[in-house]
Amino acid sequence: MTGQAVVIAVVQLALLIFVAPLLIGVIRQVRARLEGRVGPGVWQPWRDLRKLLGKNPVHAEGSSWILTVGPLALVLSSLLLCVLLPLVGALNAPMIPSDLFVIVSVMLLGVVALALVGLDAGTAFGGMGSSRHMTVAALVEPTVLLAIYALSIPAGTSTLSVIVGARLRDPAIIISPVSVLAMVALAIAIMAETGRLPVDNPSTHLELTMMHEAMVLEASGRDLAWLEVGSWLKLAALLGLLGNLVAPWGIVTDMTLWSVLLGIVAVTAKILLLGVMLSVGEVFLAKVRLFRVPELLAGSFTLALLAVTASYLVA
Amino acid sequence: MLTSIFPQAIGLCAGVLLLTSTLMVWRHSLLASIGLLAAQGIGLAALVALIGVHSGDAQLLVVSVLVLALKGVVLPWILARQSRASTRTVEESPHQNPIVALLTVAGLTILSYVVLGRILSHVGAVTAHAAPIGLAMVLTGFLLLVTRRRARSQLVGFLLLDNGIATVAFLTSGGVPLFLELGISLDVLLVVVILYVFTGRMHAKFGGTDVDTLRELHD
Amino acid sequence: MTAVTAGLLAQGMLALIAAVLAFSVPPRVRSVVGGTLCALTAGAGVITGALVLVGGHGNVTLVLALPVDPLILASSRLGGLFMVVISAVGVLVSVYGIRYAHGAAASRTSWAALAAFLLGMQLVPAAGNSLTFLLMWETMAAASTVLLLADHAHRHQVSSAAIWYSAMSQLSFLLLLAGFGVLGAAGVTTFSASGASVSTTPAAGLAFVLLIIGFGSKAGLVPVHVWLPRAHPQAPSHISAAMSAAMVSVGAYGALLVCTRLLPGGPPWWGVLLMVFGGVSAVYGILQASVTSNIKVLLAHSTTENMGLVFLAVGASVLLRSYHATAAADAALLAALLLLISHALFKATLFLGAGAIQHATGEIDLDRLGGLLRRMPWTAATFGVAALAAAALPVTSGFVAEWTLLQALIHGSRLGGTPVAVVVSVAMPLAVAVVALTAGLALLTFVKSYGIAFLARPRTAQPAATEVPIGMRIPMVLGALAVLAVGVLPGPVAEMAASVLPATRAPFLHTIGLGGISIPSIGVVLDPAALVVLAAAIAVPVAMIVRILSRRHPTRMTALPWGGGGSRARPRMQYTATSYAEPLVRVFDDVLKPSRDVQVTHAGESRYLVERVQVEQRMADVVETRLYRPVLNAAQRFGVLARHAQNGRIQQYLAYSFVALLVVLVVVAV
Repeated sequence: MTGQAVVIAVVQLALLIFVAPLLIGVIRQVRARLEGRVGPGVWQPWRDLRKLLGKNPVHAEGSSWILTVGPLALVLSSLLLCVLLPLVGALNAPMIPSDLFVIVSVMLLGVVALALVGLDAGTAFGGMGSSRHMTVAALVEPTVLLAIYALSIPAGTSTLSVIVGARLRDPAIIISPVSVLAMVALAIAIMAETGRLPVDNPSTHLELTMMHEAMVLEASGRDLAWLEVGSWLKLAALLGLLGNLVAPWGIVTDMTLWSVLLGIVAVTAKILLLGVMLSVGEVFLAKVRLFRVPELLAGSFTLALLAVTASYLVA
Repeated sequence: MLTSIFPQAIGLCAGVLLLTSTLMVWRHSLLASIGLLAAQGIGLAALVALIGVHSGDAQLLVVSVLVLALKGVVLPWILARQSRASTRTVEESPHQNPIVALLTVAGLTILSYVVLGRILSHVGAVTAHAAPIGLAMVLTGFLLLVTRRRARSQLVGFLLLDNGIATVAFLTSGGVPLFLELGISLDVLLVVVILYVFTGRMHAKFGGTDVDTLRELHD
Repeated sequence: MTAVTAGLLAQGMLALIAAVLAFSVPPRVRSVVGGTLCALTAGAGVITGALVLVGGHGNVTLVLALPVDPLILASSRLGGLFMVVISAVGVLVSVYGIRYAHGAAASRTSWAALAAFLLGMQLVPAAGNSLTFLLMWETMAAASTVLLLADHAHRHQVSSAAIWYSAMSQLSFLLLLAGFGVLGAAGVTTFSASGASVSTTPAAGLAFVLLIIGFGSKAGLVPVHVWLPRAHPQAPSHISAAMSAAMVSVGAYGALLVCTRLLPGGPPWWGVLLMVFGGVSAVYGILQASVTSNIKVLLAHSTTENMGLVFLAVGASVLLRSYHATAAADAALLAALLLLISHALFKATLFLGAGAIQHATGEIDLDRLGGLLRRMPWTAATFGVAALAAAALPVTSGFVAEWTLLQALIHGSRLGGTPVAVVVSVAMPLAVAVVALTAGLALLTFVKSYGIAFLARPRTAQPAATEVPIGMRIPMVLGALAVLAVGVLPGPVAEMAASVLPATRAPFLHTIGLGGISIPSIGVVLDPAALVVLAAAIAVPVAMIVRILSRRHPTRMTALPWGGGGSRARPRMQYTATSYAEPLVRVFDDVLKPSRDVQVTHAGESRYLVERVQVEQRMADVVETRLYRPVLNAAQRFGVLARHAQNGRIQQYLAYSFVALLVVLVVVAV
């Protein structure tokens, strides 16, 4: 079991490192096409990365080692997410089950690292981005944990691979109201957590609205590359999770070469498909005002709470 | 086949009803609320149809078509036609902080579970388990009536309340007689038409349907 | 005489010696002698508690000449655990105090009071009957008031804080007195006799409510928390650490004593009451903490939050046990104990860190700090670890505790697949929501406190702050290491805590792997060490890539952070703690009720040119203004009325006595 889990973990890691920049490329390309632009092509994020990694990072006087270590911590937390989440396969090492509370807290480590990077440079923008980012993170957490709770009820455990496995065996769970409400809540939470529209605009540099971009303003070269890769990996991994919860088919439950290949293809397709849907959705969405964001999050929280309550309905 | 997924399907319909009523509180735009009302009407019709098919009651299928026609199409259409004619006032600025309103909805839903859960605990039927959703809709409708300023938004709350009553009726007793349903539906239609004419007049006369400003008439 | 008995006596002897020496040795060596002996007193407490935990027994009975119960000190596992935790904090603060204490905090009275304070706290968990309990409790309360008053000659806020503190202390004492009285009347006099048979009587309910409010006040729960944010910033930092890490744990011990030993098996409403009390405190505490900028007030509010979570966990345990969901109830109780252990460790470290900051810069207002990471690397590292724990992130003790709590809650509402009861089905999701909201806000709070104090550039011109001396660093480092140790290898500590649980049947908890925990009855596993290994396995290749890249493209330094158009970004333009929390203040406007004043001074010739903008924001404690003010005002009005009766004429006073005598005689006659 452990050996298989290690293989799956390595496969997931390699796959996500490859797919995450591609996902961003696809999202940007689809968006460009829908807006009537030619677009830079789906491989542009890879080229950006190569460029950034080949540059000297520049640090301001007065900044500390956080500016170097923070981006690495973010990447590490995102890579851990890629290993822990059931993306290609729903197999677990017995010592490290993909427990959702552990996963959320690993993700939060990355959130904290990013917020500290934003504060470290000592500029107004960095602090602003960091403050908004943490406010959103603080308000998202109840939604995430309640949605997890709702998802864990039919399976009787908060271990994600078991939850996905249960959905694979009994697809009726997926369309149950508990699951539908929880998935809507979780999707909103993931959008907020990864800084997508309508909570944050990933392609803006307008100071009144930006969150993520404001935090990375002071990072350059290699540091910026790590920050970008970290956020991309997180987005890809969470979209993969969402995909596997909505449509668990194709995930590896028994270890053969073919099933692993199928698993890889399936999860890649799910991530990219969700990426396209996200991109299309974002074309039609405007960013909400910052002080309307809590309303959105309160809405998703209510849905998650209703999901848990409704779980006592279809007993 | 149908019996195996019947609980899930009932649950799904109930979930749609709950989701749409929550969203009605969430969204301020009147047009969006009307769209949600239409979706809710369709959900309710599906629920009735499901119960009808499951119990083999042809009369319920007729009721279902009636519900679909009236609540899914006619009423939203009337409301939407009027609102589109005056798009200036579609944004609602409710009395209550929207975050508090949403949390209140959650609280009301839990309350209805606690209350009906105790009453219906001995009833084993699947449909009875979903009945608290109907009560939650009634309470949410009341909440909308209490907190919204504009007469038309309050109309939406009234219709939500009516939907809630219908849901409770269908889920607990397995349906109301056709004539009763017909009578209630006509009543509702009548009320809506009267209110529709009334708000139209109000709008023409005072240039707005903000209920708060009506108090000035009294003073 | 067993080893435990000897340990109990040794604590008393050492504290006595410490107090005597503090008064007799010259000021030059007073801190060294006082600190060392206080540390030894606490050390004796650690050893005694540990002996009890590994199965030792012992008791001390002192028969008094007065016609009351004898004083009994008796060992119990629960008490042993608390003795270890409290004394461990005592060791840290005593060692820290040697170098930290100066001025009034290093006076004879202060050192003697610290010894008494430590002794009182350590022996409350050993008390074997209510008389001993109350005596130790009052020792603790009185000594801490003396410690709080240390600096009253120089700062006038100190006396106001001390008045609030002693008033709340006495209120709590009176409630406990009444509670134990009712309990005694119901037949529970010594702590060894369980009152399970009377738990459902109305008298037990009354005693429960009185005791819980009394203990809750000491633990800093809303609405009886008002002393906490006042006392902590005024007390010397090591005393704040002792009060906030150890003394509030004594309050929580009281709650556990009531719920598990004195009145086990209470009705469901007890659990609901505790959960509401705890849940409200948790959210309110962390909300206040997240918007304040004084670092010690922030830590004080965070204590309210953590104790709220402890009470929530205890309440969940009572509620679940009353519905026979025993496994989840045990897990919730374990979570409460882990939360307490974790809180004691990280809160002590955080307060010591705050003391170090104050020592080095003379400031505790976050809005005026900044850039301390490079000047105070040790403080920054230890404060950082403790802040991670306070935000419940892996791999710290805080995460383990919160994880256990969440698992207990989500496994609580169903027993073998069917819902337990309506009240449980409603309480558990709400509790999860409360815990999650608290965790989210704690994350923001501690990112704010760490990021603003230690990162970026100093916000005001400070005299060159330097790292504190090694004598102050050692306790901080020890505290941080303990936080990490419990976080990475929670197994042994969790097993120790699980052994305290009442009536443990089959082994409730297993240690797996290096030091992970597994609770088979609810089927959950956590092994942080494995997570660390996994992270290290991923980190190695990343680190290698970074190494190669940094050799090829080294980091360059520049004097100019990006300033929006090339102007030099001045330190004053940075975000402060207040601005950091501003979005949150807006979101929770209705709860926090901030009052803002914005004054714009226009330049002379045009109203479009602004010369100066002044923003002032005040945050009042809503509970205080709504609940305490009316009561205090009424009391004041009563006082004004009473003044008429007291006009200084001796004849009138004698007349009062005469009337009183007559009344007594009449009452006796009737």
